[in-house]
Amino acid sequence: MKQISSRQLYFFLAAIAPVGKLVLMPSQLVHFAKNDLLFPIATNYLLQAALVFCVLLAARANETFYDMLCYTFGKVVAKIVVTVLALFLFYAALLPLLEQKLYIQSVFYDTLPSSVAFSSFFLVSAYLCSKPLVSYGRVWDFLTPVSMIGFFGIMLLSVYQADFVALQPVGAAGIGGYLNGTAFTMSWFFDSVLLLTMIGKFRYQKGMAWKGALSYLAGGAAILLFLATFYGIFSDIASRQLFAFAKISKYFSGITVLGRIDYLFLFMLTLVMVFYCVLPVRAGVEFLGHAYGEGRYRTTLYSIGINAVLLTLSILLDFWFGAVNTAISETLFWIFPAFCILLPLTALLLRRKPREKIS
Amino acid sequence: MKKFREFLQRVPIKLYILIFGVLLLSFFSNDFGLVDIQKTAIILAAGLDRTETGVHLTAQIATPKGSERSSCGTASVDIEGDGETVSDCIAEIYSKTGWVPKLIFCNLILLGENTLKEDVFDVLDFFLRNEYMQDSCLIAACEGTARDMLTSVSAIEDTSSLALEKLFSDAAVKSGRVMKNSLKEFAIGYHGISQSGYMPFIRSQDQDCGSESGGGSGSSSSGSGGGQQSGSSAQGEEQKKIYFAEETVIFSRGKMSALLNREQTFAFSLLKSKVFAGTFGAEENGKPLTLSILKDEGGVSLDMKNKPKAKFSINLKVRLYNRGVPSPIEDVADSKVPDKAIQNAKEKLEKDMRELWTICRDNDCDLFQLKRSLYRSSLKKYGEWKDLLLSTAEAEFAPNIESIR
Repeated sequence: MKQISSRQLYFFLAAIAPVGKLVLMPSQLVHFAKNDLLFPIATNYLLQAALVFCVLLAARANETFYDMLCYTFGKVVAKIVVTVLALFLFYAALLPLLEQKLYIQSVFYDTLPSSVAFSSFFLVSAYLCSKPLVSYGRVWDFLTPVSMIGFFGIMLLSVYQADFVALQPVGAAGIGGYLNGTAFTMSWFFDSVLLLTMIGKFRYQKGMAWKGALSYLAGGAAILLFLATFYGIFSDIASRQLFAFAKISKYFSGITVLGRIDYLFLFMLTLVMVFYCVLPVRAGVEFLGHAYGEGRYRTTLYSIGINAVLLTLSILLDFWFGAVNTAISETLFWIFPAFCILLPLTALLLRRKPREKIS
Repeated sequence: MKKFREFLQRVPIKLYILIFGVLLLSFFSNDFGLVDIQKTAIILAAGLDRTETGVHLTAQIATPKGSERSSCGTASVDIEGDGETVSDCIAEIYSKTGWVPKLIFCNLILLGENTLKEDVFDVLDFFLRNEYMQDSCLIAACEGTARDMLTSVSAIEDTSSLALEKLFSDAAVKSGRVMKNSLKEFAIGYHGISQSGYMPFIRSQDQDCGSESGGGSGSSSSGSGGGQQSGSSAQGEEQKKIYFAEETVIFSRGKMSALLNREQTFAFSLLKSKVFAGTFGAEENGKPLTLSILKDEGGVSLDMKNKPKAKFSINLKVRLYNRGVPSPIEDVADSKVPDKAIQNAKEKLEKDMRELWTICRDNDCDLFQLKRSLYRSSLKKYGEWKDLLLSTAEAEFAPNIESIR
């Protein structure tokens, strides 16, 4: 069976996973943590990096999560668990999809476009969700330089305008601001579960666990730099700045002469985001396959069905984004740590495939 | 089922590439930038005046020039609307003209004098919230009403807003005569710890241009009341204007605190280190001369040892630019500034800085963000001094001028 390589996995952790945190998370974070915004995110990143380490340790068995569940609890329990996990993944995918939709409509259009502008996303998603993970490995090889050029391009245009002193004084938001900032941004941190869906699809190599965690932290460091720049530019009005990464570069002085050259970098990051947003849906579709039957035909059906549901939700919730965001990221924030902590730790305890006796 | 499976196997990768192409088009096409100019009002500038019932909005809207006009430039019409909020005014413009107002090109927000008497963020709120509005747009106040200013006929441009924007060119800012500000920076000042800010104050003056001189042939006509648009060009009959923005309005908690005159504005500009290649006057033995500023390093720092002390420093490198009296050729060949002139310039700068500080302190305007500096350096001391800082802080002025050849 074809597998993704360790390089592709590190690329995902370092360059693809961070892009999901660039759109609405920064402004929401500032709302709670104010100038102390770096600490909640550092906490979430450290927690996730530890969980990534655990997941990669669990990957030493070179078995999929579903197989390990089967060996440990039997098929029935395994099917129930992966069904619940699939539902969690679809739930986790909803917020990134809706924020991606808002971002496209607000940044790339100068008046509100029709919903159709985003609907084509689900066509692509339906296709991508029916593809095996190995295809994504090749895509990550291509997207990693795209992501890095896009990110550093944006930072290059922005960082010199930031007043980093605005991050002082440390601790101004208090312990409440820190805790709220940490808790209410957890809905953007489910990368360890995404990684869990990939185990068994790559061959574990020596040192992979800490290399993977370090790759993830490297992406986290980039996000911290981005957040510091974001707050340095907008300081007291940062909580109003939705679509943070599309906003910070527009004050570059050359833009008055050259036009919005930052759009070039925004397009690059948007392209990467498309593939990031699809990942939880794809993983959910795959788990549905484990639970209710696999095969190309069925996978395609699941993919079309789930994407149709998500498309319908994205249309129905068009004017309810604020309520959905509050519900997912604030009221029900605990769902994310519950899955993200519980599942990777459980994976460490699961049984491997029993060795066949050699007679 | 079997047929479907076979179909899936035959679906070429090209189809998916096509689908992906559709995605890219729908994401990035921006509706192919198609703007129906017959239905869209591209707002170049928005003027806001406070009325008894709410807000009066004057939107200067770009219009295509008729083909019979030979000159280049931008023509415009001024459309007006009234309402309790700015969005009411926008809705009125829409309902009465059928034009969809487009704010993405709005580069100037002009506030009338009466708007400044209360917290201006009741009228700026709309622009700060609007995702389709550039928060880097310029913000300014004007004498009289914004309506009169925007509907006046510029002597140098077809469209008054473009003439006004020219006042805030980089060259003008570097001269130190104008303190421009953007909506973003003004909002940061308002919502920040200091709750203070500033914006340039524009005045106009009649300009006798003769019958045909001055601007091009664009039409700048005003329709008064309730979003009416007048069709006839009145440019030839109206008095043409030129504009100045050498004064600065300072704000505390969104309300106008005081108006800085041109000397105080210049001192403020120097303290912000914004001046490069600007000039200012001094005297030597009662005779005028002008100095050219080659380098400006200014700033205000807060010293919290014992009692709070605000240190105003300006370090300038200057050159003699010209004298107001005839000079021998040896003097013309030498650009060194005489010591007496330097001393005189220092005294003038110190006087202007002192006046500037006094105005800010007396009006409780933290123009130099001293509270913010204190907040960022020590939360504890900020807690102790936040209400007393401006009234009790001593000021120390240190203008330093160095002449270079």
